[in-house]
Amino acid sequence: MSDTKIISEVKKNGVSRRSLLTSMGLGAGVIATTGLLSACSTVAPTGSAAATGGAAAAGSIGGSVYDAEIKKLVAGRELQVGWTPPILSEFFNQMENAAFGRMAELEAAYGVKWKWERSSPTGNFDAVEQQISTVRGWTTRKFDAVLVCTGANFATMQDVYTEAADSGTSVFQFNQPVEIYEPDQISTVSNIGYDNRSQSGYLAGKFIADTLGGKGKVIQIMGPSGSDWTKARLIGFAKAMAENPGMEVVGSADGGYVREKGLNAAQDLLTRFRDVNAIYGENEDMALGALQAVEAAGLKLWDGTDGIVIIGADGLISGMDSIVAGKLTATIDVGSVDQGRTFIDTIFHNVVLGESVGKFIEVPTRVVTKTNVAAAQAYINNALKPAKTY
Amino acid sequence: MIAITAPSQRFSRLLANPSAGAILLLVILIVAMSVAFPNFFTGINAGNVSNQMVFVLLLALGMTVVLITGGIDLSVGSVMGLSAGIGAYTITSGAPLVVGLLTTMAVGAFLGLINGIMITKLGLPDFIATLAMLGVARGALFLWTGGVPIIGYMLPEYYVISGLSQPFGFITVPILIAIVAVVVVAVVLKFTSYGRHAYGLGSSPHAAVLSGVPVARIKVIAYMISGLMAGVAGMIMAGRNTTVAPTMGLGYEVAAIAAAIIGGAALGGGRGSAFGAVIGALVLSITANAINIAGVSSSWQQVVTGGVLLLAVVFDRVSSLIRARSARLATRLAHA
Repeated sequence: MSDTKIISEVKKNGVSRRSLLTSMGLGAGVIATTGLLSACSTVAPTGSAAATGGAAAAGSIGGSVYDAEIKKLVAGRELQVGWTPPILSEFFNQMENAAFGRMAELEAAYGVKWKWERSSPTGNFDAVEQQISTVRGWTTRKFDAVLVCTGANFATMQDVYTEAADSGTSVFQFNQPVEIYEPDQISTVSNIGYDNRSQSGYLAGKFIADTLGGKGKVIQIMGPSGSDWTKARLIGFAKAMAENPGMEVVGSADGGYVREKGLNAAQDLLTRFRDVNAIYGENEDMALGALQAVEAAGLKLWDGTDGIVIIGADGLISGMDSIVAGKLTATIDVGSVDQGRTFIDTIFHNVVLGESVGKFIEVPTRVVTKTNVAAAQAYINNALKPAKTY
Repeated sequence: MIAITAPSQRFSRLLANPSAGAILLLVILIVAMSVAFPNFFTGINAGNVSNQMVFVLLLALGMTVVLITGGIDLSVGSVMGLSAGIGAYTITSGAPLVVGLLTTMAVGAFLGLINGIMITKLGLPDFIATLAMLGVARGALFLWTGGVPIIGYMLPEYYVISGLSQPFGFITVPILIAIVAVVVVAVVLKFTSYGRHAYGLGSSPHAAVLSGVPVARIKVIAYMISGLMAGVAGMIMAGRNTTVAPTMGLGYEVAAIAAAIIGGAALGGGRGSAFGAVIGALVLSITANAINIAGVSSSWQQVVTGGVLLLAVVFDRVSSLIRARSARLATRLAHA
């Protein structure tokens, strides 16, 4: 995959999706994903529907009787859904395609129709006003459900969510570090994501400590100071460091979640701390930037016994390519695919079927290293080829 | 009389350099950091800073030319991203590396040309035209890529061209490119009729028109130089990042303008130099580097950069006041 162009991959998908639909019919594309779904047993937050999928016929999710009943309930309803990530990126592209895959499956099985609208600030993590007005616009247009991930101020967003709920639009958050807020103050129906403390920051810290045998010097490349993601992940990372007294965080700098700044920050920190054993890049792009800094400085990358351990977090195809190539030591795959599939399930169960859903739904996350990267990458690559796009 | 004015003339000549304030700050920063952190004043760190400053420097050079003519180019960050994206895509489509690199630079210059045409032919204010380009170029990059970074264009030579691999120590290819760019811009500004016209146009647009300066051509070329510099910066950054994220170059227009102003360029036009751009870029890069090494919260970077900008401008105001006063004094003495 390392030589593959993601861009052209995406464009090719467009063609293959269309041909799938026209030549084989809607159901055909579903078989593969359904099988994988039951194998991984990651989705289906609300239990019933997805978990029993394995043996069913093409396009079926719950067996013929169940499917027929649900189909009656759905009655061909069309759902207008708005999705607003904080930025367009590889991560959210993976998530959106995974969502499309699940939407196509539900459409094939139950006849639910989807109208999907995506809106994202172009390029600036701080361009939150745009997201606020987007959500307000969707509320005014009486969308059935709105999915939000934002860097906007917490309190402001709760007001926006309450307004939406009052006018009949159900609001769901995804990938949002809700764990650092009081549950009662969160005004969404449900929040689909993961705990940045225990499921990302802590895992990264523990991986570094375990890999180095509990002893070593670490530098941290963090996201923008003040960002909720950064705050939450650092809590978990600090906990792992505290559990390993031999570990010492010698320096940290802001890499702004982008590669160039991550590279510069790592380069500068390596100037002062030549003898570090590990670099924690709080997201994958910064970790990859740090990796370039290590290579440019002529330092040795971790080879299993010796060198600098570098770990990132996100779970991107490009990061996994680097793991395959033996460069990036590891990353935390925070479930871009499962988040996408799960928030669609959650909307389906709650908005369409009127079932209750948990307020906090956490998808599985995992440390991806050279030993398990093949499966992790295949899972995402599969999700990048949904049977239909919306 | 000569005995009285000589030292004050030397002093005022020192003050007269529009980069004087920035140079002073730079020296203070370097001395303070060297005392506090032994690893700061080292060859390795000098290499880091020189390689990190290339982008801001290239953009600041182009920005300086535009500022001299009395314009401003807000689009450089977006132009950098879009030209890098198109260049990288050209390579992934199978074009040779050279074609990809030339495409990157050509796209930058072309977008600069459009800026120039919007300003001179359509009569749009510089600020508006380039702000529109900032939005359009960035938006186009996002729409085209769908937010997914472009990868797979890193041919082995690109690692050398972008300075990621350093066969000649810390003197990397990007640093050499930057040196060439500085020299070329300096020569163009100082020794060509284009340079004279550019300064003339910026200092007094009305007089420039009356004296037959080809205003439109001077302006269009200035924006093309700025676009080209953004293209070159994009070309190097695409290599340095090994991926073109659609956010590439985001916010770099602010750094470019700040560097140019810190280096003595005037927003009002008619003033600025390639040397100033170097000083300005150096100030910003060393500040960022010092903040990382010192482990200070990165929010300080914005505070410090803003403060340096302010100080540089204040210093310039004060020194020009002093100069005016000493000139008056000299005139009075001469008459006495």
